[in-house]
Amino acid sequence: MALAYNWQIGRSMSYWYPENRPKRQFAAVFDINKCIACQTCTLACKTTWTSGKGQEYMLWNNVESKPFGCYPLAWDLNLLQQLGAQQWRGKEYAGRTIFEAAEAGERVLGWRPADLDYAYPNVGEDDCTGRVDRGAALRAPHLNWFFYLARICNHCTYPACLASCPRGSIYKRPEDGIVLVDQSRCRGYRECVKACPYKKVFYNALTGTSEKCIACFPKIEQGLQPQCFVNCIGKIRLAGWLSPPERARADNPLDYLVHIRKVALPLLPQLGLEPNVYYIPPVHAPDEFLSQLFGPGVPAAICTYRKGPDDPDLAGLLGLFGSTDRVVPRWRREDDWVAALDEDGSQIVRVPLKEPVYIREAFDAQHQVTRTNCP
Amino acid sequence: MRRRLKSAVVAVPVAFVLASGCQKAAPPPPLASVVVASCAAIPAAPGDPAWDAVPEYVAVLIAQDLVEPRLLRLSTPEIRVRAVSDGSRMAFRLAWTDDTRDDLPGPAEFVDACAVQMPRVIEATVPAPQMGETGRPVDIVFWNAAWQATVDGRGDSIRDIHPYAAVDHYPFEAASLQPGSAPQQEMATRYAPARAVGNTMAGPRQSPVQDLSAEGPGTLSPVPDGHSTGAGRRTEAGWSVVIVRDLPQALTSQGDSQVAFAVWEGGHEEVGARKMRTAWIPLKLEVKP
Ligand code: SF4
Ligand code: SF4
Repeated sequence: MALAYNWQIGRSMSYWYPENRPKRQFAAVFDINKCIACQTCTLACKTTWTSGKGQEYMLWNNVESKPFGCYPLAWDLNLLQQLGAQQWRGKEYAGRTIFEAAEAGERVLGWRPADLDYAYPNVGEDDCTGRVDRGAALRAPHLNWFFYLARICNHCTYPACLASCPRGSIYKRPEDGIVLVDQSRCRGYRECVKACPYKKVFYNALTGTSEKCIACFPKIEQGLQPQCFVNCIGKIRLAGWLSPPERARADNPLDYLVHIRKVALPLLPQLGLEPNVYYIPPVHAPDEFLSQLFGPGVPAAICTYRKGPDDPDLAGLLGLFGSTDRVVPRWRREDDWVAALDEDGSQIVRVPLKEPVYIREAFDAQHQVTRTNCP
Repeated sequence: MRRRLKSAVVAVPVAFVLASGCQKAAPPPPLASVVVASCAAIPAAPGDPAWDAVPEYVAVLIAQDLVEPRLLRLSTPEIRVRAVSDGSRMAFRLAWTDDTRDDLPGPAEFVDACAVQMPRVIEATVPAPQMGETGRPVDIVFWNAAWQATVDGRGDSIRDIHPYAAVDHYPFEAASLQPGSAPQQEMATRYAPARAVGNTMAGPRQSPVQDLSAEGPGTLSPVPDGHSTGAGRRTEAGWSVVIVRDLPQALTSQGDSQVAFAVWEGGHEEVGARKMRTAWIPLKLEVKP
């Protein structure tokens, strides 16, 4: 074990390998408030990468309804229970990460989902089992709220999958931080399946190796955003490059949202992996629940986000989500316009701060027809 | 113990033994080293009666507890080893007790397996028994029960693992693609990345064994031109597996070397580094050809 600094938990922690950050880190922001659980992302990924034999059950991208939904079954609850109390002292995590809590003889604290734990994605999550008019309604010990949590591999800075593999078959690319399973080296030991707390490595029983989200690296290499980003109906996603906090730049959209405005937060930062998908937490769910999921930054993030309508920079940048299929390394606001820029400052796309609204008469007098609304 | 007595009783008929070419008439008492008996023809099947006359070494298995992830819960206590050689090949028959047949892999389902390890170079000091060490490689032949099942005829589809699985569609089975045609194969391979790069950890395998070499824990790699063979069979008590590999030339001149074995009990989630293993055991070539 080595000591490595994890800014998400505000301290150094033990990790199997020394700190070794990539030249740049692929990262993403998902705005949970905009997700409609249409699962277009899930299918975009499925048809692109996991339509093969042995991949039937795999959802490299999945969307689950919180608080009750999970894929695989209880992926989060099982580990949180195993890990025990997770206390924060301000911005510093005072509990143990999954590397620090590893039992003797293990590299990481983890657990293995069984086949059937993957068998029912989304089943029953949002459904009422009876008729509402006959009294069938959810009675939970808390106020009724839910939100959709879209999940992919977090291409973690300290991947548990990578740390757990005794063969070194998993590697983090120095050029972009994308975490991959080397399909020629993997011998299907499934240590990574056990170790990844987000359960984003999957065993393929028909190839005998483990497979995972590849962040659509052939697209990333061409400057394009992954499939689940460009197909997102809710335009909740933006892919880019995240700097370490001390090198954050205001003109980098990811840095701006994560480090400067602190409106986008990591998923279960207390586990210690420094995951690189950041979530803008939902504004309507209780802080207690959200803080367990996204750490102590939740109340401030929600407060900032709520003020979005009066915050042209924040609102403008959020308007760039879903506006281009290109990865957006830089951005700039000019009055009522916001532009996505390439590394060299050239413009990728430009969108207005406020989309203009055109209202058409319902009846077209010239053609004597009633208009229908279609996009 | 009862099993060993039983095999001693069964292994008597001298004519049988001679017919198979092995020179031993009856198994002697337990050995202090793995003795490679000379034979005219390698008995390739685990149930071949020729094995009955070959002396047996009972190797104590210990947990792999040196490198993480370690095996902390002991499982298979011992492995019974018989070995023969026809002068160019050598065969080991490994038998061990295992209550459960674990040959169906899954995210949390592991398969039974075993391996034979020998140092590549025979010298006075042997390399580290756990997978060798840098510059001092070990050669390993690995068998597993899932590969055996596919060699024995189990199909290569999700329904062979989950009989009631429902699949809507595979793009490479679209009506527009001629089954077996080059474009169809190309598309199928696209969705099987490990196969695309020649890593046959599963699938329709020709052999239940694989030749590997290693220079320390975590360095195991397939030997591209490996041609060891093997066959495993479920017995009343567990598994019986024959592994046939080349007889190292140095062994014919020097007469002895070292050998080590490993067993993975799938039902105990044993895989990779989580295994029961032996230390190095002296290996003696009984009759120099
Ligand atoms: S989310 Fe899981 S699979 Fe992805 S890099 Fe992190 S530990 Fe590995
Ligand atoms: S495509 Fe976008 S809106 Fe639809 S479920 Fe996925 S993340 Fe949510």
